[in-house]
Amino acid sequence: MKLLFTFDNFRLIYVGIATFMWAVSLILSAEYMRHYERKGRYFFFTLLTYAATIGVLVSADFYTLFIFFEIMSLASYVWVAFDERKESLRAAGTYLAVSVIGGLVMLMGIFLLYDVMTRLGVTDAPLSFERLNYLYEATKLAGHESESRKVWAAGLCMLFGFGAKAGAFPLHIWLPKAHPVAPAPASALLSGMLTKTGILGILMLTRYVFAPAGFSDVNWAVLILILGVCTMAIGAVLALFSVDLKKTLACSSVSQIGFIMTGIGVGGMSIYELGTSGAFLHMVGHSLFKLTLFLSAGDIYMNLHKLDLNSLRGYGRNKPLLKLIFLSGALGIGGVPLFNGYISKTLIHEGIVLLKEYTEYLIRIGAPVVLSVRATEVIEWIFLISGGCTVAYMLKLFICIFVEKNPDPALQALYDERKPYMNRFTATALAISALIPPILGTTAVYSMNGMVNAVAPALKINTDAEYILHNYFTLECLKGGLISILIGVVLYVGIIRTCMMSEDKTEYLDIWPKWMDLENVVYRPIILYALPFVFAVICRFMDKLVDIILFKLRRTVFKDSKEFEELPEGNRLTFTLGTYASKIDDIRRKLYKLKGRKLGRKKDYVHRFAMEYEGFKESRTLIFRSMSFGLMMFCLGLVVTVAYILITRWW
Amino acid sequence: MTCLLKSVEQIMNIMNMLPLKFHMDPLGAIFALLTLVIFLCSGVFATDYMKEKEHKRSFFIFFILSGFIEIMLCAASNLVTFYMCYELLTVLTVPLVIHDRTKEAKMSALKYLFFSMFGAYGALFGIYNLAKYSDTLDFIQGGSVPASVFASDQKIILIAAMALIMGFGVKAGMWPLHAWLPSAHPIAPAPASAALSACIVKAGVLGIIRSLWYVLGADKLKGTAVQTAFMTLALLTVFMGSMLAYRESVLKKRLAYSTVSQVSYILFGLAISMGQTGVNSAEGAISYPNDALVGAILHVLAHGFIKAALFLVAGAIIHHLKITKVEDMRGIGMRMPFTMCCYTVVSLGLIGIPPTGGFISKWYLATGALASDIPVFSWLGPVILLVSALLTAGYLLTPAVWAFFPGAEYRSSGKDLSRSEVGPLMTVPIATLTLLSVLIGIFPDQTVALIRQIFTYL
Repeated sequence: MKLLFTFDNFRLIYVGIATFMWAVSLILSAEYMRHYERKGRYFFFTLLTYAATIGVLVSADFYTLFIFFEIMSLASYVWVAFDERKESLRAAGTYLAVSVIGGLVMLMGIFLLYDVMTRLGVTDAPLSFERLNYLYEATKLAGHESESRKVWAAGLCMLFGFGAKAGAFPLHIWLPKAHPVAPAPASALLSGMLTKTGILGILMLTRYVFAPAGFSDVNWAVLILILGVCTMAIGAVLALFSVDLKKTLACSSVSQIGFIMTGIGVGGMSIYELGTSGAFLHMVGHSLFKLTLFLSAGDIYMNLHKLDLNSLRGYGRNKPLLKLIFLSGALGIGGVPLFNGYISKTLIHEGIVLLKEYTEYLIRIGAPVVLSVRATEVIEWIFLISGGCTVAYMLKLFICIFVEKNPDPALQALYDERKPYMNRFTATALAISALIPPILGTTAVYSMNGMVNAVAPALKINTDAEYILHNYFTLECLKGGLISILIGVVLYVGIIRTCMMSEDKTEYLDIWPKWMDLENVVYRPIILYALPFVFAVICRFMDKLVDIILFKLRRTVFKDSKEFEELPEGNRLTFTLGTYASKIDDIRRKLYKLKGRKLGRKKDYVHRFAMEYEGFKESRTLIFRSMSFGLMMFCLGLVVTVAYILITRWW
Repeated sequence: MTCLLKSVEQIMNIMNMLPLKFHMDPLGAIFALLTLVIFLCSGVFATDYMKEKEHKRSFFIFFILSGFIEIMLCAASNLVTFYMCYELLTVLTVPLVIHDRTKEAKMSALKYLFFSMFGAYGALFGIYNLAKYSDTLDFIQGGSVPASVFASDQKIILIAAMALIMGFGVKAGMWPLHAWLPSAHPIAPAPASAALSACIVKAGVLGIIRSLWYVLGADKLKGTAVQTAFMTLALLTVFMGSMLAYRESVLKKRLAYSTVSQVSYILFGLAISMGQTGVNSAEGAISYPNDALVGAILHVLAHGFIKAALFLVAGAIIHHLKITKVEDMRGIGMRMPFTMCCYTVVSLGLIGIPPTGGFISKWYLATGALASDIPVFSWLGPVILLVSALLTAGYLLTPAVWAFFPGAEYRSSGKDLSRSEVGPLMTVPIATLTLLSVLIGIFPDQTVALIRQIFTYL
């Protein structure tokens, strides 16, 4: 197998974004890492991860992609474990486990795909995306039942691997754990770029392997859509409940990945490709927002070494630049008009609306549908509410850090001091990254549509059907965005301000029950304890099988050794008792020594008891053999006989 | 005088009937090369490791002798010669196991001897039966037992094949006769364990290949119960070895169980590729060997280099820091950074993370298994290989993680974390083996082409 690379517009854009992100985070890292030890390994593995990520992005087949994907996963482990605190190591363990398991399951998928391709006679670059195009449809139409089943299984396996990296439900567990403990610049890259490589894989699967040709099997797209909707909703709820700055951002990443997957699913289901273009734009947008947001969080952490919202409260009141940078990211991710997040979310939303119409049309002409009209409506509402949640938790973060005052006036005074909180380079880099969302958002018709046009061939976006909008500010489009914002404000006022804060509004409460954690309740007990235990018992038995047989044979065939070694004196009882007595005596002597009392000579109780036993044995033989013992037994016998006679007589 | 000459003549006669023949063919060369590299590396390592140990002389004598015999075994060109070398190898490696002269060492050595002899007699039974049907016991590609015999006396030949597999399988640590391996390998001094675990077990693999592919003809076993049994045993061993390694806390024992599991990767590759041909549309008529066979031979090399490196690392740790348990390996990445870097790289290789040798061999094993037309096993095999890879990650990566990330509390607890690397006599062999294990992963094409050539016959 040879490595294959490709470089089209899609790769160009993503390599550009990756390079930009790494550059900006390295600039912050230089400042952020000033006081850390062992930063050499941080920088080394950051660069290694960069190289591997570029490899993933420009790969032209799944084989190459997998190789770089694994290197990337393992190299990025160092980020999470970097500061070696207990929770970091635990989170890093989770991350490693998810990466390794995901990687191996993905490998199984690749094996299956390779097998299908070789069976179909493709031996030259069998795993390249171009050759895999329409594979599922093709095997199905050609009547290769077993092959198409294999493709489907391969797809599931690979989805598992890519989903684990992207943070899709139910494998999102590593994100909320790993992001808060990693150094902030690394979190930005983990969240902004590494999750996107997972999405890249899912895109390649959906757009190439499972690309639908006309009216055909859309089960795959439905699966992606459902997973996406679950991820979107769960991430949003988790983020709403979190009171930790970076954890909120991490959960938000989960949710946004859900948006992207929803877009991919919607795009795969109907002939209209709005969802796919929306997903692509949201991918780009999310990379940028998370860069800005995580780096702002990093800047805060660098100065305060705290991430808890209650202690951060009011920190940013007097820092206009940081406020603006954070605001740009927050408005972008919240989908507020004039920012690029609005454009991508609008596209996905319009995609869902068109899917509904398309489904109605299919029902009208009597074609089979997988999702009913009602289901698409439900999906639309979950989409809008999740968008609302995004607005709500971003409001929560922004108001907490940049608007409210800290309940502790002394601390607030400290926060309000005009002190430099980042150096010039960091400020410039952050400001540049914060400028991109509004620029893209305002020039959407040229810039973002242009991007979609550029990537259309790589993502197989059908440009004949509707795939972009030419005006993003029609009433129709604004309606969706505004409903989301309205829901967000309602959620913020109605839930966060009332239920998630203490009575006097001085504290944000963590009301999410501690035990409700998928990882601790399900994954860890099963993977770490239950399965190993069961299999270890079985394997232990297998391991000892021959030994047991040999042992039994030896015991039955020739008994060459006694079960116990022979004792020099006494019997086993006196030996045991004597040993214990000696031990007790030892303890007693130690105690006496402590008290300073006088000690007699040490006694060997094993010997003493053995002697006692000897004496007992001797006297027993003497007694047993003596005349008087015989007489005594005779008398006893007589007594018993007489008693018996008397008793039988009287009754 | 005449009497003496008579007896010499008689002996020569016997030797004529059972000629000793040596010829180094490419397959033997692959195994011999592996042996040479590993014995050289372990030997250099041993010069430092054994410096202050007792019985140095006996160790080196038997170490060199067993390396020599193993190379002779690779060069043997008929089954009789092979068998003699095989038995000699067993006998010569026992002193390596018994080296410490402790009771445990003696018992392990006896166990090793017992199991190996038992296995060898099993194999001998198979050899007798094959000799009955074949004119010659010379190694001929494709086997010398005629197919007509197979049709008439199928049962006996199947029994003989099973005896050969089980017999040579003992040395390769195949369940259920693997029990000697986890007790004998760790008890030997580290360089000897490296040699035992990395090459001596491969003598069993070579035995199976030689007797089945070169005498019996492996194609004949396609679809028989023997093949099913062989695959089942190999897969069971793969899983059991990994699971027990995962639960083991003494590093060297963990590595020994890992050997049990990994060598059965090879055996599974052999088992599933019997009578299967690979697909090669480009050249049309030429039937390539199945990829699983290629993967098996590649894994012989990859596992050899990796396991030798792992045992040498374990030896360096034991020698230098007196650490034997995995739990005590916390923070040793700071103390012996170079050694532990090598450990991590080869561990990744054994798990099968690209771009190391282990990944390539696993790729060929799994794709070959899937390409075969055997129901259930064709997908169950890869699944078990991957589950085992996951367990491998569990048992090899945790020490690596502990070594480099001991935790903030551990760092502040005042434990000695200063750098104290072992000398070049230890690091150079480890580094060489690590480099080789990565190189065969990055440039596998030549090796793959060679292996394909070996097993391609028209």
